[in-house]
This record gives sequence, structure tokens and C-alpha cells, in this order.
Amino acid sequence: MPEGVPQNAGYMVAAYVVASVLLVSYAVSLFLRLRKFSRGSGAPPGLP
Amino acid sequence: MSDLWRDAWTLARKDLLIEYRSRTAFLSAAVFTVLVLLVFVFGRDPTAVAAVDLAPSALWVTFTFAAMLALNRAFQLELENQAFDGLLLSPASRWSLFLGKLVGNLVFVGSIEALGLPLFVLFFNVSLGTSLFPLIGVLALATVGFVAVGTLFSAMAIRTRFAELMLPVLLLPFVLPPLMWAAQATTALLAARPLSEIRGSLYFLAAYDIVFVTVSILLFPFLVEE
Amino acid sequence: MKLARVGFAITVVSFVLLAGVYVRAFAFTPIEAAQGPAQKIFYIHMPAAVWTEIAVILLGIAGIFFLFLKDKRLDRFAEASAEVGTALGAVVLGTGPIWGKTVWGTWWAWEPRLTLFLLLFLLLVGYLILRGAVTDDVLRPRYAAVLGICCMIVVPFVHLSVYMFRGLHPDPVVIKPSRPSLPPEMLLTLGLSFAVFTLLYIGFVAQRVALARLREESGHA
Repeated sequence: MPEGVPQNAGYMVAAYVVASVLLVSYAVSLFLRLRKFSRGSGAPPGLP
Repeated sequence: MSDLWRDAWTLARKDLLIEYRSRTAFLSAAVFTVLVLLVFVFGRDPTAVAAVDLAPSALWVTFTFAAMLALNRAFQLELENQAFDGLLLSPASRWSLFLGKLVGNLVFVGSIEALGLPLFVLFFNVSLGTSLFPLIGVLALATVGFVAVGTLFSAMAIRTRFAELMLPVLLLPFVLPPLMWAAQATTALLAARPLSEIRGSLYFLAAYDIVFVTVSILLFPFLVEE
Repeated sequence: MKLARVGFAITVVSFVLLAGVYVRAFAFTPIEAAQGPAQKIFYIHMPAAVWTEIAVILLGIAGIFFLFLKDKRLDRFAEASAEVGTALGAVVLGTGPIWGKTVWGTWWAWEPRLTLFLLLFLLLVGYLILRGAVTDDVLRPRYAAVLGICCMIVVPFVHLSVYMFRGLHPDPVVIKPSRPSLPPEMLLTLGLSFAVFTLLYIGFVAQRVALARLREESGHA
């Protein structure tokens, strides 16, 4: 590695992990909420 | 056009008369202002922070929260006895309705500020000199912006659960840009900087006011239509 | 429901492509000499930021059309755009400070662009809170539309106010009047990432709109 380049790959990985966690969590939350509703209208109204 | 203003003024006068007769809201807001200023005074370490450094923050935080209090009561008057329906049935246009509320709120908040400013000068040992009028100008510009958006939002907040909490949550992000400009201008004025330095902030504040007063007037009817 | 399935498919494809972008960013894109590998956070941070802001603007536009056309679909879209915008905004606020730590030495500096995104995030959250707090089904979309329009209109003012303070943010490297200063491999990675985030936004919004419709049909939960 050329001299002077900061060794901060750890931060890069951390940020990519954070982004992945956030995006996947949101995708999963969408999936679960959609699944609850297509399992017939079993969910009583008023439930979040 | 003159109907717009005449009706608005009639409505504003009604609110201000009601307010004047009971004076509770005004007194509470006034006392609140004094107390918040005191929190700033007693909350700082005099040896660590100079009064003049803290002064702009103290001024703007105090007035922001006092305005929030004042706005909370804006539409509360009409909550009972379906008074709001009565207003809607009147020949006054929706725009007059909003303008009336806006003017009433401006007078109310302006009065609080008129009371708070001398106290602020006193408590923080601020020497104003020639900066007084520009400072009042900055105060007026920022207040118009806050109150315009605040009046619009209070019409919505009143119909939600937790109305008193809802208004600050919705309003504060909108109030941050004018707050930044006003604080920058105030700091410059208190440091006796030349007026030319605050020209940018004043233009931005004025632009914000023009845009948001217009937008609020235009959007208000949608909040109350059938 | 068809929209939900299509949305789900698009989302799955986007995640696969996103993984591809990750690989490209890690292994096939040069390291920036002054900032080190951490600069690569940019390839996720920037597209997310752009889409967060677009989400706010679309929210406002949908609001304007809704107030005149009264079409419920516009309201569902607005709600979806706000929620997805919030998620993307979280990505911006999550990755920004990590990158910032390596560049500025501190986790948070009140520099213009991160401050802007903090405010955008608060606007979006406020919008979602308002939607949750209005119980009347007729009032909710109207109030949301009004707030959404105000959010959109305040964005340029937020830009103006945060830039007043000279910031620590790296100077604009891509969007400049003349040619972008990034070398081609980096530009390509950025472009690919941006395309993937576009797909991600579309997939998420499609699913969220479908969810809104399902909720309404089942008597609004």
C-alpha cells in the first residue's frame, strides 16, 4: 500500500454493515407487514 | 381585496378582545418568557461563559418557545360549542379566517417579545445603541415566519391526539432555518458589526416570510373545506 | 396482490444488485489516496442521500396533486415515499458520521450536508407522526398533503441556511459544472450504485403502496 494512505478499512466495513442492516430491516418489515394482511383479513382492525 | 383585510381584522380583533378580557394566556406566556430567560441566566457558569456569548441563544430559544406556547392556543378558542363551524358559515372567506388568526397571533407574540426584549437587555447586560432598530427588524422578520407556519400547523395540530406536543414536533424543523439566520444576525448586531454583514440573513428571512405567508394562506382552506 | 408481488420482486433484484455493487466497490474500485478505503462509504452514502431528498420532493408534489385531484392513490404514494425516505435517511445518517470520523476526526460536526439530512430526517419523521396522530380518515390525507407540501417548500431554505456555515464536507466532487473530478472507475461504481438505489426506492415504494391499500381494504389498522 502506498505510503500515507490511511488504514481505515474497518470504518468502511462498519458503514456498509450499518447500511445493510438498515435496508434489510426495512425490507423485512415491509415483507412481514404485507404477509400479515394477505393471510386473509385475520388481523382485527385497530391493530398496528 | 379590502374585504379580505377588513374581515381578517374583525376576526383578529375578536380573538384579541377575548384574550384581553381574560388575559390568562398572555400572562402565562409572559411569565414563561421571564422564567426561560432566568433558566439561561442561572444555567450558565458566569466564570466560564460570557453573557454576551450566550445572549443570542438565550434570546432566540426563549422567543421560540414562547411563540410555541402562544400558537398552541390559536385555534383552541373555537374548539368548544362548534364555534369553528360558526366561523366557517360566516361570509368571511377562508383566507380572511387565516389572515385574522395570523394577525391575532402576531399581535400576541409581538407583545410577548416587546416584554421580553427589555428584560433580555437587562439580564444579559447587552448594550444595544444603534443596533436596537435592526434587532427589532430581525425579530419582526423571524417572528412573521414562525407565526405564519405555526398558525397553519396549529389548525392541524388541534385535531390530533397530543395536540400540545404535536405542534412543536411539526413546527420546530420548519423554524430552524429562520432561527439560524436570526441568530447569526443577532450575534453580529450585538457585536456591533456593520449592517452590511447581516444583509444576507435579512434577505433570506424576508424570502422565507414571503414564501411561507403566501403558502400558508393558500393551503389553509384545504384544511377546513368540507 | 399484484403490486405487492411486483414490488417484492424488484426489491429482491435490487438487493442482489446491491451485493454486486458492494463487491465492485470493495474489490474493483481504486482506493482514494488521501482518504483511504473509508472513502468508499461514499458509494452508498451519496445515492441514499439523493433519494432521501427526492423522496421529500415527491412527497410534496403528490400532496399538491392530491389536494386538487383527491385521488387516494396519491396519498398512498405520499405515505410510502415518506416512509421509504425515512429509511434511506437513516442510512445517510448512519453512514455519514462513520465516514466523517475518518475524514474530520469527529463523529459529528455541524457541517452543512449532514445537518441538512438531519433536518430532512426530522421533517419526514414529523410527517409520519402527523399521519399516525390524525384519526379521522378524511382529514388525514388532507393534513398530510398540506404538511408534505410545506416540507417540500422548506427544503431549499434548509439548503440555504446550512450552507451559510462553512463546512468540513469534502468539496463537491461529482456535481460540478465542468467534468466530474472522479476517475472513471469510481464514477462507474457511483453510477451503478445510484441505479440500484433507484430500483430499491421503486421496489420499496411499490410494496408500501400495496400495504397501504391492503390496510384500507381491511378496515384500516
